[in-house]
Amino acid sequence: MAEALKKFRPYVTWANARGAWPDMVFSTRVRFARNLADLPFTGRAEPRQLDGIRRAAFTALKETGLFPRGHFLKMESLGQLEKGFLAERHHISHGLAFTALPAAAVISNDEDLSVMVNEEDHLRLQCLGSGFAIEETLNSALKLDEALGRRLPYAFSGKFGFLTACPTNAGTGMRISCLAHLPAMSRLGLMPQALESLSRMGVIARGIYGEGTCVLGDYYQISNAACLGRTEEEFRVNMDRVIRNLIRQEIAARETLLKGHAKLHTEDAVFRALGVLRHARTLSYGEFMRNISLARMGAAMGWEMGLDFSTFNQVTLLMQPAHIQAAAGRALSPEERDVFRADSLRKKLL
Amino acid sequence: MKLCEECRKEAASVFLTLAVNNKVREVHLCSVCAARKGVWQGTETGAFNSSDIVGNLSGYFKDFLPAERKALRCGACGLTYAKFKQSGRLGCPDCYQSFEPQLTELMLRIHGSSSHTGRTYSGPGAPPPSRAEAARRAATLKTAIQEAVKKEDFETAAKLRDALKQLEGRDG
Ligand SMILES: [Zn+2]
Ligand SMILES: [Zn+2]
Repeated sequence: MAEALKKFRPYVTWANARGAWPDMVFSTRVRFARNLADLPFTGRAEPRQLDGIRRAAFTALKETGLFPRGHFLKMESLGQLEKGFLAERHHISHGLAFTALPAAAVISNDEDLSVMVNEEDHLRLQCLGSGFAIEETLNSALKLDEALGRRLPYAFSGKFGFLTACPTNAGTGMRISCLAHLPAMSRLGLMPQALESLSRMGVIARGIYGEGTCVLGDYYQISNAACLGRTEEEFRVNMDRVIRNLIRQEIAARETLLKGHAKLHTEDAVFRALGVLRHARTLSYGEFMRNISLARMGAAMGWEMGLDFSTFNQVTLLMQPAHIQAAAGRALSPEERDVFRADSLRKKLL
Repeated sequence: MKLCEECRKEAASVFLTLAVNNKVREVHLCSVCAARKGVWQGTETGAFNSSDIVGNLSGYFKDFLPAERKALRCGACGLTYAKFKQSGRLGCPDCYQSFEPQLTELMLRIHGSSSHTGRTYSGPGAPPPSRAEAARRAATLKTAIQEAVKKEDFETAAKLRDALKQLEGRDG
């Protein structure tokens, strides 16, 4: 099974916790939506046209020289497990995984750059960066966009900018997002209020519910809401301001958790979480995420967790359902997955 | 536990907080509806983007697009205005001209602006730059030439001068 996955490296550079504030921001992503001129958008194009777009995109992407030893994957050649793996690695969307059209994913060898071909837009270019790294990630994404734009004719108008299938993406076609890890604010119940004020600063916040009403792993994805009417640089500056503001609030919340009486309870929660991660014999993804979130915060507070942030991040990727099955080499039932997850985590933590 | 606002049956597994027209809105979706709208079920995936979910919410565009009595249609791809309003997806780049007045209104509401001020495209088949844009690019090139000369990087300076000549030739 999963021939295509064997060529992927076990660790990805964008999760190596090298950027600024790796304990608060897991990763930064910049995406550009682009379409080819004089062709219908993916949803209204003929399969023959889409096949031509895919061929042109492969040729142009190879010519940029940015994808040496990269992965050029046609979606119809991949199984569900492989698609799940790529989605968990942040390379493809749900829409691309379930498309019946001639679509593709092109991923650089170090997995920092990826391109979805014939998703809702002909081209979705993205660059991933480690930690809080908006400027560097944007620059790399721009480099890819410029290199590709010199080789392929983009659909562009002076008034509406880069033209996209959905008007929410037109203009710059740019979406910057940071995956923020906010365990202390979550623990103190400060998130609902923080999210409301964030949305007033022009960003969309998203979380996934874990167990009960908890947000999975205390991870929040923050992205710019609009992408038309301001320059890429103005959108960047705004996101930068929003994330710095959020980091300041999380630092203050962590200080509160270490003050006086609260410290004992925080320490207790963190080490109990570490105990679960080290000793559990069966571990659901939700339970894993709840506990690793606390252990990650504990490491940031200077307590000995036996793992550095880079390993925390890699483990967070590796414990996802499709990654577990890729490591096992076959499809597993949810119960089998939980046992496999606990076993492989124990090996990494002891 | 909140209920999914699309199907109104299942418990929500994903939420979004966003402000539309300065009003803060929370969107709650179950895993099935969220998956259909672009979130991978149960897992964290970065490739999904929040705007795609927003663009997929039922009725999102209906609320923001003006009503049209006449049956409009894009001459290039045949997409009708009614279909666009329902799906939130345009059919081809020419749709932006075919429905320009309606899109101008929509863009104002969802982006707070209706005209692009970001980078322009200069690749194959690009429209010639406007006078203002050409002037802006020429100014940038002139500064870059001065810097290259200061650093005695004459090779780069020569390349930049060629680009400037080309730009001015196109403009004049
Ligand atoms: Zn639902
Ligand atoms: Zn059209």
